[in-house]
Amino acid sequence: MLGKLSVRNMKRSARDYMVYILTMTIVAALMYAFSSLITQNKVEAYFEVEPIMEVMIGLATFFILLIVAWLINYMVRFMLEKRSSEFGLYLLLGMKKKTVSRLYMRENLLLGGAALAAGILLGILLQQVLWAVMFAMVRLEYHLSVSFDKWNLLMTGACYGGCYLLALLRCKGKFRKMNIRDLMDAKRLNEEVKEHREKAKRIWLPLSILFILLFWALLGKLSNTGELALFLISLVATIYLFYRGLSAWIICYVRKKGSAIYKGHRLFLLRQFASKIRTMQFTMGTLTALFTLALMGASVALMFSEYENTVLKEKFPFDTQIYSSDTAETFADEKNLIEKTAGPAQCFSYRIYTDGKTQVNTWMLTHLKAWGTIYRETDGAPNRDKIQKELDSDACCYYAKDTYMGLADYNHLRGMLGYEEVALEQDEYLLQVKPRLEEEVQGIGADLRLKTAEGRGFLSCAGIRAEPFSQDGHNGADYMIVVPDKVLERMEPYYSELAVDLQGEAPSGLQGQLERQMDLDDEETSGYGDSDLCPGSDTIISFSAYVLVRDDLISEVKYMLASLIIPLFYIGLVFVCVAVTVLSVQQLSDSAKYKFRYDVLAKLGMGQRERGRLVLKQLAAYYLCPALLAMVISGKMILFISGRFVELTGVPAFAGEFFGKTILLFFSIYLVYFAVTYVSFKRNVEEHG
Amino acid sequence: MSDYIKVCDVEKYYGNGQNVTKAVDRVSFSVEKGEFVGIMGASGSGKTTLLNMLAAIDRVTAGHIYYENTDITELSEDGLSQFRKHNLGFVFQEYNLLDTLTMEENIELALTLQGWDKKAIQKACGQVLELLQIEDVRGKFPYQVSGGQKQRCACARAIVNHPKLLLADEPTGALDSRSAQTLLETFTELNQTMGATILMVTHDAFSASYCGRILFLKDGKIFHELVRGEKHRNLFLQEVLDVLSLTGGEMSHAR
Repeated sequence: MLGKLSVRNMKRSARDYMVYILTMTIVAALMYAFSSLITQNKVEAYFEVEPIMEVMIGLATFFILLIVAWLINYMVRFMLEKRSSEFGLYLLLGMKKKTVSRLYMRENLLLGGAALAAGILLGILLQQVLWAVMFAMVRLEYHLSVSFDKWNLLMTGACYGGCYLLALLRCKGKFRKMNIRDLMDAKRLNEEVKEHREKAKRIWLPLSILFILLFWALLGKLSNTGELALFLISLVATIYLFYRGLSAWIICYVRKKGSAIYKGHRLFLLRQFASKIRTMQFTMGTLTALFTLALMGASVALMFSEYENTVLKEKFPFDTQIYSSDTAETFADEKNLIEKTAGPAQCFSYRIYTDGKTQVNTWMLTHLKAWGTIYRETDGAPNRDKIQKELDSDACCYYAKDTYMGLADYNHLRGMLGYEEVALEQDEYLLQVKPRLEEEVQGIGADLRLKTAEGRGFLSCAGIRAEPFSQDGHNGADYMIVVPDKVLERMEPYYSELAVDLQGEAPSGLQGQLERQMDLDDEETSGYGDSDLCPGSDTIISFSAYVLVRDDLISEVKYMLASLIIPLFYIGLVFVCVAVTVLSVQQLSDSAKYKFRYDVLAKLGMGQRERGRLVLKQLAAYYLCPALLAMVISGKMILFISGRFVELTGVPAFAGEFFGKTILLFFSIYLVYFAVTYVSFKRNVEEHG
Repeated sequence: MSDYIKVCDVEKYYGNGQNVTKAVDRVSFSVEKGEFVGIMGASGSGKTTLLNMLAAIDRVTAGHIYYENTDITELSEDGLSQFRKHNLGFVFQEYNLLDTLTMEENIELALTLQGWDKKAIQKACGQVLELLQIEDVRGKFPYQVSGGQKQRCACARAIVNHPKLLLADEPTGALDSRSAQTLLETFTELNQTMGATILMVTHDAFSASYCGRILFLKDGKIFHELVRGEKHRNLFLQEVLDVLSLTGGEMSHAR
């Protein structure tokens, strides 16, 4: 009999909490699909990189588990509260507390199990999509293979089951403490609107708004971690206190009989809204925090994916490029190897020169936005000691001395890349910089004093070129001064370079072969962060490798970026789903109460269409409130971060673009949940009997 | 068409095919302006169904209901809402107050829905609170006041816009005898001093004895009618009880 009862109850809960079940299914599916990136990573085999994807997904899963555990715990407690009078009745009929609590546990496990099973089925499908996307991202061919990995299954099941057990154990404790009267009364207690000291509580609203304004004004100006930590703590407090203040403000306004309440349905809406926010201010705060994190995660993911789609291509204009600190290097062995493995190729070796001075480096360090005022004195003059110390250090972003290239070599390289040739007079130079720096270096011509070939006068600046030119350490770091060949006569060679134009695609693994050829494959020098190379002012993503083989590197970098992008989207997606679920469930489970209220309105003469509109307004206000607050808060952070991102990586986008796209993405998920909630809410409210 | 409210051959069936229940079976009566009419009947006699049709909450299967010259059975859904909003007031057994609104706001809400302006709302609301003697609890929420006060508030909400008809469905059902008496006296006063037309459904003879005329309903049909005239209420109560005893066991649980 009890079995039958629990199955029936489960069915009813599934209907009442449809949105919750749906989200749990989606979360299980996401968890299954994403953890397959850990348990059966098929892409990793192609790359010689650290297991970064595993670590990132693992980290994301950890945070997601925390939130899912919260959701389950919240829902289990919520359903318990909503059904307390029913449980009171069971006790009244003579059931033991233990039996009732076991009944409830069994129901929840059945419910969770069903969602998990459905989720895993969906997950297998999603896994295929995810892998296909992943392979497409790194340009590898993917063959559909439906596999049922037991480790993956076990992991998803364990995460999921753990959350459930934890929540249910907590509930068990609650059951033990309850008595029949409490259970029967629990429901009634929920409905009371407690109002006291509203006037005093009102202060939180202007305070939180003030803090948010302060936050907008000051975010970019925080200088140390202490300030930042303090700021973030106050921000969290603000998010929670905002709702307390808002509901107090509305209540006071209504009590004061403000004129607005006498128009349309505002009295009803305001009261409804204030009482709902009042009873769940803490939940609202948590939801806002979740939305904020989701928005930020998604927009950072968008930034990296934009980078991947635009800047990355420009980063490796040459098919292959090799650096050598030996100024007499001819690259004979490397040329042989390339022609042997990749067929005939146009190879061009050349030298980078230096005049032994640091005036261009100094200009860069004191004028580029990336460095801010670090290398300036308080009066704006360059801090010579600091600059010299920086340039002498091993980890410097610039070469210790300025870098020059002859016009003939430059034009040859331009020819290889398909750019038109440039001409220079004997007393001219030109500056070749990374595309993103073009705007920032406009004033450089007036400041530089570069001597002519004879050493008597100064060269004048003939212009600035900003085509992609491999300037992450190969053709200079950030910049290259191009001078007439005659000027080079008074300079000394600095390092050697080889640029290669292949006829087809590079054979896979050429990078590794070249590195082995050059004896670079020991730990210290291979891969990223080769110590002689200086990448320039790229700080968010920077490349410095002696050997660059474009077709190998792009895939590898894309894979590394994917390790960031995918977990961030994953987190964002789950956080939004969880938060919207809580919002929806809150509304839907109260629909009995709302049905009564809307019935009263109907009796007062409100037509059906008008009631429909009112439901829409009520739900919209309720849904928009946490989303708007989250948008205001995350907006500033996203604009700030994306502003820096655009500045430092040269992504051709304006800072607001990422925010806009994130919002669009966010609201499409939001809208789906909103529509489902609206339809079922309206049905519940209007249903007869 | 001199009657204020006229119910003509109203029928209401539930179910279909073989399974038809006649909740209201060809009922006709009329109500004069300023009358206080009671409808009595046992559970299942169709009295609430009849009230719901008069209240334009439920539609008739056949027949017509006229409010002066308006036949509400001909009105559209929106038309009915509008009609309800401007012409009817309701008092129900379960008070039907909104729990998120204070007593005063519950009354104000009805007027805001009708598009009254702030000043008029506050004036009307103040008057009706005073009339029903619930001024001192105007700022309280429904859960903070007694049942009698809640019902008086519902009553205030029902009459605040001077409706053509005040409909009451077992208004004393959830009240203790003292509060019930106060409420019924209020109804009488509204009826006599303000000229409000009231139609009250009840199965309680004591409540019914406050009415000016009582229609007895049985199995969906009117089977008797009592008019109080100039009689004293106690005498009228006795008459009501006599009618009830005549109907035998069926109504014996009513008192």
